[in-house]
Amino acid sequence: MNPAAKKPRSRHDPTTEPGWVRWLLILVTVGYLLAMLVLPTLSVFIEALAKGVDAYLKAIDDEDALSAIRLTLFVAAIAVPLNVVFGVCAAWAIAKFEFRGKSLLITLIDLPFSVSPVISGLIYVLLYSIHGWFGPTLDALGIKVVFSVTGIVLVTIFVTFPFVARELIPLMQEQGTDEEQAAISLGANGLQTFFRVTFPNVTWGLLYGVLLCNARAMGEFGAVSVVSGHIRGLTNTMPLHIEILYNEYDFVGAFAVASLLAMLALVTLALKSLLEWRYADRLAGGARH
Amino acid sequence: MSITVTSLVKHFDNFAALKGVDLSVRPGEFLALLGPSGSGKTTLLRILAGLEFPDAGQLTIDDVDVSEQGARDRQMGFVFQHYALFKHMTVAQNVAFGLRVKPRRERPSGVEIKERVDRLLQLVQLEQLGDRYPAQLSGGQRQRVALARALAIEPRVLLLDEPFGALDAKVRKDLRRWLRGLHDEMGITSIFVSHDQEEALELADRVAVMSEGRIAQIGTPTEIYRSPANAFVCEFLGNTNRLACRIEKGGAKLGEQFFVAAVPSDAPALPGVAYVRPEDCDIHPEPNGPGLKARVLKIHAAGPAVRVELRRLESDEIIEVHLPPGSDAPEIGRDVALTFRRVRIFPAAGA
Repeated sequence: MNPAAKKPRSRHDPTTEPGWVRWLLILVTVGYLLAMLVLPTLSVFIEALAKGVDAYLKAIDDEDALSAIRLTLFVAAIAVPLNVVFGVCAAWAIAKFEFRGKSLLITLIDLPFSVSPVISGLIYVLLYSIHGWFGPTLDALGIKVVFSVTGIVLVTIFVTFPFVARELIPLMQEQGTDEEQAAISLGANGLQTFFRVTFPNVTWGLLYGVLLCNARAMGEFGAVSVVSGHIRGLTNTMPLHIEILYNEYDFVGAFAVASLLAMLALVTLALKSLLEWRYADRLAGGARH
Repeated sequence: MSITVTSLVKHFDNFAALKGVDLSVRPGEFLALLGPSGSGKTTLLRILAGLEFPDAGQLTIDDVDVSEQGARDRQMGFVFQHYALFKHMTVAQNVAFGLRVKPRRERPSGVEIKERVDRLLQLVQLEQLGDRYPAQLSGGQRQRVALARALAIEPRVLLLDEPFGALDAKVRKDLRRWLRGLHDEMGITSIFVSHDQEEALELADRVAVMSEGRIAQIGTPTEIYRSPANAFVCEFLGNTNRLACRIEKGGAKLGEQFFVAAVPSDAPALPGVAYVRPEDCDIHPEPNGPGLKARVLKIHAAGPAVRVELRRLESDEIIEVHLPPGSDAPEIGRDVALTFRRVRIFPAAGA
């Protein structure tokens, strides 16, 4: 009998947790996701269709609802392109050039993320309302910012500011400047270098950033709520309209409009996953967020 | 196409990359900038290309001062160490790039661009790969695309930054032989940077050895190998033995032999270092004969030369000697006398 031979232990990979730990973790995660995300989202659709498809369509077809939808689309259509232009410029400057104050600029770009959206809205009211800093000047020029569409657009721009820039900066920094230097050595000027070399390298990262920016622009509530004045049919975006309907106990109406936003969220998620799956190496650092 | 550099100085924050470089490049020559990391060779190359601007000094091409000109206008082809190919363009599009971005009046027609690209791809032996993307090519293939792309604009000078640094040994040897062939065929002035001395000595017409922001010596490979001008070049190139000695009356004695040192003959006595290449030593088995006394430590007989390792008796310095293959080597532990055929002596550092 060989004294060195022992009964072999249960065969599990020594570098991972034993089976039961893994299953427990998975169960806890799935359970949490179900309770916190899946069920609430499902319930939006269930409640929206609680009184049948007709009631659902009537709620969406309502004039105030339609105007809220139009306003949401309008705000996104302005905020997103502006932030794309800004984001690309900022990322280009930060990634390809050396200048003093670069870290400060990066920190400022991240500011809207760290500030509560309600505070963001409040800042705009403090600055632009009739009693605010710029109030008298704007009033003299006949420009109304607070309680108007202008204010909503401005505040949405502020809140969705960082998305495109944050996606592009690490991507461009990782790509470095070699290709641009090659382009210059071959005789290209600044614009040619940008459009033929820099820009094509970041298209997928840009698309990803636009997607996130758009989702946020359409769904913003806190900041817009402070600035808009809730004038039905004029300064109500979809999230605000949903709140009004809910406060009036029109649950089907509220959930019906909410389901539109939920569908937007699902479509955004699907597109995001698609981009990550196909182009992971060309998104910021290949990271999947 | 001659290039002249005068007193070039370049600082990066606190680091002095170039401390006053003078260089004259002859038309059509294949020049190597050789040196250890940090010697300034890549900085010099990039200044020549216009990718960096010097802090002081002058750069003229064909007697025209181009110190203020940017890379766009210098018409130089630059091949980067890591190729810097445009990832999102095919091989053919990469090569055509320099032609497509020319200003409208200078730009050739689409048909002509395609013809030129095809000819270049043939030149670098990549005709079948025009539609591939860089990610689908091997390292050697990518390097050839980078070369074709640089040649497309018909540059006056070709600048290569460690062109074979990122390739493995066999590919490197093949590619460098091929590059030299290409240079001979095209006659274009070429300057390349390398830290690999074997490569530089094999390929170049002239080699500029750089150290700490200055050119230590410039000459043909034979000149700098056989007649190094200072201690740095001696030690940097090839194998060399260092023997401490005392310089008196303009030279030093090793064993019974007197060798002239690189100092004026009336200089006062000072400590020096004698540099001897392993192949310039002879071993005499009689220990009491004329020569430097040393003891045999090890013998490696397998290889292109018989390598004998000895210890100098008076100073414990290790000396390596290469004998022709098949020579009779003395036994290990035996005391022998060494004589030398060629020695360079310089004052010791700090003297």
